[in-house]
Amino acid sequence: MFLRQREPLSFERSVSGKRGMDLPRLDVPVAQDTRPAHLKRSGFDALPELSEVEVIRHFTRLSKWNYGVDDGMYPLGSCTMKHNPRLNEKVAGLPGFTDSHPMAPDAFVQGNLALLFTLQEWLKEITGLPGVTLQPSAGAAGELTGVMLIRAYHVSKGAKRRVILIPDSGHGTNPATAAMAGYEVVELPSRPDGTISFEDVTDPVNGKVRKGLQTLVSELGTEIAGAMITNPNTVGVFEYRFKEISDLLHSVDALVYMDGANMNALVGVARPGDFGVDVMHLNLHKTMSTPHGGGGPGAGPVCCVDKLMPFLPVPVVVRDTVKVGEGEVPKHSYRMEWDQPQSIGKVHTFYGNFGILVRALTYCLSHGSDGLKAATLRAIVNANYIRTRLKGAYALHIDSPSLHEVVFSDTLQAKHDVHTLDIAKRLIDHGYHPPTIYFPLIVPGALMIEPTESEGQDELDAFCDTMLAIAKEVEENPEALHQAPTLAPLRRLDETTAARKPVLRWVKS
Amino acid sequence: MRYLPSSPVEDRALLDTIGVPDAEALLVGIPEALRLGRDLDLPTSGSEQEVAWEMMGLANRNTRFCAQFLGAGAYDHFVPSAIDALISRQEWFTAYTPYQPEISQGTLQHIFEYQTLICDLTGLEVTNASLYDGGTACVEAALMAVRVAKKRNTVLVSRGLHPLYREVLKTNFAPHAGLNLVEVDLKDGVTDLADLQAKLNGDVAAVLVGYPNFLGNVEDLPALAASIHAAGALLVSVTQEAFAFGWFEAPGKAGADMACGEAMSLGNKPNFGGPFLGFLAVKDAHKREIPGRVVGQTKDLEGRTGYVLTLTAREQHIRRDKATSNICSNQGLVALRANIFMHLAGPEGMRGLAQQNAAKAQYLRQRLLELPDMEVVDEQPFFNEFVLRYKGDYAALQEACLKESLLPGLDLGRFYPEYAGCILWCATELHTRQMIESLVEILARVPASV
Repeated sequence: MFLRQREPLSFERSVSGKRGMDLPRLDVPVAQDTRPAHLKRSGFDALPELSEVEVIRHFTRLSKWNYGVDDGMYPLGSCTMKHNPRLNEKVAGLPGFTDSHPMAPDAFVQGNLALLFTLQEWLKEITGLPGVTLQPSAGAAGELTGVMLIRAYHVSKGAKRRVILIPDSGHGTNPATAAMAGYEVVELPSRPDGTISFEDVTDPVNGKVRKGLQTLVSELGTEIAGAMITNPNTVGVFEYRFKEISDLLHSVDALVYMDGANMNALVGVARPGDFGVDVMHLNLHKTMSTPHGGGGPGAGPVCCVDKLMPFLPVPVVVRDTVKVGEGEVPKHSYRMEWDQPQSIGKVHTFYGNFGILVRALTYCLSHGSDGLKAATLRAIVNANYIRTRLKGAYALHIDSPSLHEVVFSDTLQAKHDVHTLDIAKRLIDHGYHPPTIYFPLIVPGALMIEPTESEGQDELDAFCDTMLAIAKEVEENPEALHQAPTLAPLRRLDETTAARKPVLRWVKS
Repeated sequence: MRYLPSSPVEDRALLDTIGVPDAEALLVGIPEALRLGRDLDLPTSGSEQEVAWEMMGLANRNTRFCAQFLGAGAYDHFVPSAIDALISRQEWFTAYTPYQPEISQGTLQHIFEYQTLICDLTGLEVTNASLYDGGTACVEAALMAVRVAKKRNTVLVSRGLHPLYREVLKTNFAPHAGLNLVEVDLKDGVTDLADLQAKLNGDVAAVLVGYPNFLGNVEDLPALAASIHAAGALLVSVTQEAFAFGWFEAPGKAGADMACGEAMSLGNKPNFGGPFLGFLAVKDAHKREIPGRVVGQTKDLEGRTGYVLTLTAREQHIRRDKATSNICSNQGLVALRANIFMHLAGPEGMRGLAQQNAAKAQYLRQRLLELPDMEVVDEQPFFNEFVLRYKGDYAALQEACLKESLLPGLDLGRFYPEYAGCILWCATELHTRQMIESLVEILARVPASV
């Protein structure tokens, strides 16, 4: 799978005078130079000079050092690495979409506006929440938008609230977001099964008492602006007391934010709007299969209850129905509504990652109501199949019924001084991308596996067989695992030196 | 459903191994009362053919223009074919964030090269793996400046900054009671130095200035830097059109301490405003305050050069509420488009394209000024955008253009009351002389006034 030979930095291949782009003939007079002398562009120091074929080979070779979803199972927990349909890519590249200008008058982008409106309608029905903005560019941007909606709600009621509650099992983006939105974070302790604890929790090691939800709500009361809760949580377990949690928070008018990172376990099965969520984001690059792109771009739409709708970012896409004669099919026109006096404002320069939203709607139309539910159920079946096959060989730290992902711990392997990192690196030698490791923090040496609905039984079996072989190797030859990977293009990399003496760009020597 | 590997035989085998009668039995962790209990009220699944037609129908509902004379933060440039071909490789577009470096060297080395080239364009020393877009890059730059400056809580923003970037800044500053965002006026189409000096004080952490600004005019960065640095603040230059880096001096070499903005021009189409490519470049001394992902060079166990995500102690998954930002992604694939574009263009391409853009815009301006209704507003050096006052009725002009499938410039009064009746025009290498002549011809026929 991997290319064995090295590909040097392109800059080291640069030869003066080569070019990979020919410019069109200039059919107007040459530009007059009106620039002040001190503002004229001086030279470039790094831009390489290469032919087109050299550039293409460079980026083709580099690509061969990556692992993609088409190479095989990509069991990264919480990342939902499902199949990326080619239709979605093709549609997003249609010139009717790509050439459209964000400042063009509404009348000339009716296709785009209809698309955004339709996607909003799908997301409303899927989440059970009536308000939607498609503007946030990623999950973290969605979180920030959602928490700003919570803030705007309390400000509109004249209340200054300072605290956001976040479970200790939550993604790091949750507390970082709360801080960016001007809030103080108070941590909610987990119960042994990873769900939120209503009662105080005493640390078995140091005897320290951590206040549970009940205590925090009664002590902090109206200081609490809201809580950010991932559901199913990062262990893949549904917060089965979610309704009670939201009722308790609502009793002090605190709002419930749901991190929708794990929505792939719920689509078509349960709706956040039905179990007390006030506002949430969806990761379209997870749940709706828009490609991860090596780190982005994603999209993080936010859905909310009625009372938060006045605060949604501007503009909002609305549909007007044109009056038609009796018996005729009603005609619709679409427009951007900018006049929202209570809006939090804009959270993206234009309307979000439109090209990603195109792919997400294509995903929805392909799956339909039946396919969306079938995908959810298959994702849950696949995760539980892996759980069943591996649970003797790897420790299940938390034994509650799990949904779309399963989290193992390295406690059985640790007896042989082999840890999660070693197991992950050995998987690379076997041709797999490793699962998410050391997250969530509440599971020691966590190995978080999310197969998604895309994997057939033979793929699941091959992965499980590999995991079992590794577990056997741990017992027979633990030292070998410390050496892994040995079959990848590179061995383990020195991250400490990279951080201590950062080299962050190439400099001509 | 073609994307699911389901069959009655296989489904049964999986369920038997797990030991449950059906998939619904695995939902036992979700209380009955919280389940949906019905089908989603949405259309059922569609074949590839049906969905393709439906989506094509939507694409076709957008008006196609022969030429767009509108920039304002989203620029129409030619995109070399190699970009789409390379981007379509699954190794690039389906891969995840490179958290496992041994299996992600392609993405990591690409980002390292991209970082090198963004530093080259901006004349600064450190950048990250990219940010969402121009507006959010301004937010990250402003918040970073506040962290760097320490105990200074005001950020000045020139009114020449893209009006929507200013809106995004306002949204993100609103939750921070202790931080102030103050606008600096324009004079003659550029930042008013007198107003700037009046507003500079010991509480100002940074000043954000468009370079070139939203009106297309170039700001005299060295002159601004002198005042700003004398007050102990940082100069942040904001570029919304990355092609300008081939025309005007690199901001880092013209006195800017930080450079941020929008680089969608490098290998992307306007795409209705996204996905775009935010960037932020800073000085080496400030590198530990930069938000977002950063890739660094290192060695593997056998001494071979490789790349890893680094300086992660700044980031949310380690620092949680003390992180430099909540951002945990980048615009990976858009950054790759930009990286390939810069590789194809090289230094001669970047300079040559910039010269062509300047030439086309100058020609467009000259031809428009030959019309009786067009007038000069501010006389400043510009790149590929400029403002003219139009004595006629914008709505009539717009209608006449649209009838001929031309998208005219932006009605500036929408964002700047003081520029009511003015139009922001843009021309790039895509605009042929013929397109420009057609535009002028159409405008000549628009009734002078209503």
